[in-house]
Amino acid sequence: MDFFYSYIALAEIYVLLGLSTNLLVGIVGIFSVSQAAIFGVGAYVVAYLLMNTAVPFLPALLAAAALCVALNILVTLPSLRVSGDYFVVTSFGIQLLATAIFTNWTAGTGGAAGLPGVPAPLIFGQELIEPGAFLGLATAGMALGCLGFWLIMRAPFGRLLRAIREDELAVAALGKSVLRAKVSAAALAGAFAGTAGGLYATFLSFIDPSSFDLDASILLLAMVVVGGARTLAGSIIGPFVLLALPQALALIDLPTSVAAAARQLIYGVLLIVFMLFRPQGLLGEKL
Amino acid sequence: MSAYLRVVGVSKSFGGLRALNDCSFTTTKGLITCLVGPNGAGKTTIFNAITGFLVPDEGHVAFQGTSLDGFSPQQVVATGIARSFQNLRLFTDLTARDNVLVAMPGQAGETPLGAIFRPLHAARATAQRRAAAREVLAHVGLADGADTMVRNLSYGEQKLLSIARLLATGAELLLLDEPTSGLSGAALDRVMEVLRGLQTDGKTLLVVEHNTRVVQQIADEVVFLHQGHVLAQGSPQEIITDPALAEIYFGGVI
Repeated sequence: MDFFYSYIALAEIYVLLGLSTNLLVGIVGIFSVSQAAIFGVGAYVVAYLLMNTAVPFLPALLAAAALCVALNILVTLPSLRVSGDYFVVTSFGIQLLATAIFTNWTAGTGGAAGLPGVPAPLIFGQELIEPGAFLGLATAGMALGCLGFWLIMRAPFGRLLRAIREDELAVAALGKSVLRAKVSAAALAGAFAGTAGGLYATFLSFIDPSSFDLDASILLLAMVVVGGARTLAGSIIGPFVLLALPQALALIDLPTSVAAAARQLIYGVLLIVFMLFRPQGLLGEKL
Repeated sequence: MSAYLRVVGVSKSFGGLRALNDCSFTTTKGLITCLVGPNGAGKTTIFNAITGFLVPDEGHVAFQGTSLDGFSPQQVVATGIARSFQNLRLFTDLTARDNVLVAMPGQAGETPLGAIFRPLHAARATAQRRAAAREVLAHVGLADGADTMVRNLSYGEQKLLSIARLLATGAELLLLDEPTSGLSGAALDRVMEVLRGLQTDGKTLLVVEHNTRVVQQIADEVVFLHQGHVLAQGSPQEIITDPALAEIYFGGVI
């Protein structure tokens, strides 16, 4: 049963990341390939605060989210100067930079060895160690994220963001601030990713740079592509489908070295197949 | 009659090309002014300079006595000027109504905090705006197409929608870049009717127009632009019957 709970809790954390990526890439059209870096910062900040200070879980999570808001605004700002394809290159740079820091800043992140022993979240005196107990927290986090995403998509702000994706210049000509809208979207995406990071670190109790590298960013993009862009349903189903794959592979008893490669292979094939034959994903719109 | 929009000595060069060369003209409140001239005369460039999309090398633009120098497109719209684009630039993945809704100023729920923390307030405001959007669409004869995706509208309907979207900004001075190009027959008549209707509603229009028949039918005043410079400003009759201007317009050289 724990195996199943773990899968659900992890998928719920990735739904928050899916929402974050969908907001930037799908809705606003800022093609970020560095969302895993922001996710990582959230994870490391919560891990560091819980392991080295007396800050309780929820304030630590809040601090991580706040920092990720600021950071995501900063890394998204280049999209105001360099548009479309050019921003992807900038974003690659940001992701590589983040991975280098995660791997080499041993004092803060534990370097390549990572940070073991991140304490489980303590909420209202309850220590959420078992996957079943943690599931409640992950579900609450996902539900809040989904509610926020849904409210935004049906509000004028959501419409403005969709318009910006189509034609920034036309939006500016209508007297709207493209800058303010993009910064707001980046802030929101940062809050989602940072929160997801904090949940991830405390759920797994061990983090290392491999969870927050370029492969991880591409996995997030794959979740949006497979689930479908710009819809809540797409953001939810993408992570659940893609994270079910490694679980399914674990059932057919492959050697671990083969399983990891097989997973990457399947993700790659899925990206190609969906882009070619179903660009709208399972439950979304065309990216 | 006092100048509503005043363009004084505006020049702009792109590399070696002088797109605008000491360009000066005025428009009068409540009138339809047509901006004519051969291709490459600088008609769209002057639109860009007026609306803050382009910073002129020299010269000034003032609206109702207020200088627009250094204004961003957003600030220009706030003063009451809005412009359309020759290639429309509609949001094709949105419905006609949503295109109009995006353009409406000062909306509740247009920030993430407003959307998340005051959803009911945003929803109520949106309901009112939907009714207002329907009126704007009805004004250009698109009430039935409100829920249609823009990419499924005909070209003529898209032209009308771009006017509706402009109208939704609430601007008093509307700059229209070739609103009738590519249209003929009933669709052309429809757009002309809508433009005259806007004038009746008290709007002031500055229209880039190629079709001399349209100019004769809708223009109160004509500004003739050639090589970035205003050669003449006057009544349609004066401008169209001027043989020297006709020579330039229909392919002559100066």
